[in-house]
Amino acid sequence: MKVKIITKILEANDRIALQNRNIFDENGIFVINLMSAPGAGKTSLLEQTIRKSSGMNIGIIEGDIAGSDDAERIERLDIPVVQINTGGACHLDANMINEVIRDLPLDTLGIVFIENVGNLVCPAEFKVGEDIKVMLLSITEGHDKPLKYPLMFQESSALILNKIDLAPYTDVDIEKIKKDSLSLNPALRIFEISCRTGQGIQNWVDWLKRLPQK
Amino acid sequence: MYKEKMHEMSIALNMLDIVSEQCRRADCTEIESIHVKIGKASGVLCDALLFAFDAAKQDSIAKNAFLHIEEVPVTGFCSDCDKDFAVEEQYILSCPLCQGTAFKITGGRELDIIDIEAV
Repeated sequence: MKVKIITKILEANDRIALQNRNIFDENGIFVINLMSAPGAGKTSLLEQTIRKSSGMNIGIIEGDIAGSDDAERIERLDIPVVQINTGGACHLDANMINEVIRDLPLDTLGIVFIENVGNLVCPAEFKVGEDIKVMLLSITEGHDKPLKYPLMFQESSALILNKIDLAPYTDVDIEKIKKDSLSLNPALRIFEISCRTGQGIQNWVDWLKRLPQK
Repeated sequence: MYKEKMHEMSIALNMLDIVSEQCRRADCTEIESIHVKIGKASGVLCDALLFAFDAAKQDSIAKNAFLHIEEVPVTGFCSDCDKDFAVEEQYILSCPLCQGTAFKITGGRELDIIDIEAV
């Protein structure tokens, strides 16, 4: 017999993501799902953000396939951090966040960054309970990325272009990255930064400070 | 929770959970076929999903199930030319009919299970 279903395949994930979101909301925490390719500088961005974040109460969830190097880097800055090892999976899903959410001192935090597994494809598919997605692209990855990975650019609220200090040494067309990204997502907020020199970090942090958080 | 490397495998396992539950609720013991709609801009590759599903369905009540994937094209509505359109691409930067930019994407992100045949 035919059994009608008509349900979203990711319905279970979306439901748990909503539970996560409610827990964060109850605690007045704004949550950013930070996504990029491996090596674009997610952890460096978080380190730089923390250094300039006086007055903000930051917590971090680190997602990696294996290892705890990133969490150790954050811990050195005296910031609450939880490490998730996906054991092979290429993205974080809502359930993984749900399992560790209470390990963070939620009542002391105002903003939580979820550093997703380095990958430009599937993290955009799986909601984890975030308020917004932010994408980091290092300019050395090339100006073809917006049109090769459109979903990531469409889903993000902000795009951070890192390693901008390397621009003179490459042939990358930064204007094309910006133009194509904005064509895919006209509301996208774009920041140009260098985690190495600190260029542009303050603009990004000022933007973060205007987001609703306790 | 999931320990696989392809995100299509996560999708296949989620799908299998849902259809197995629905099959049991309908007092059936075996799933013969599953009909899903996968949007072209959903980020899921149909070949990879078929491959993952075939691996995931072993030892489940869907072990003999045929997965019928209906690919959904990217569609939109342009308010510049007041027309609906469908395209082959995963994304577009302007209306394919009038090249205007005042369009909304209306389809192509689907990851939906429509129905199953079960006995």
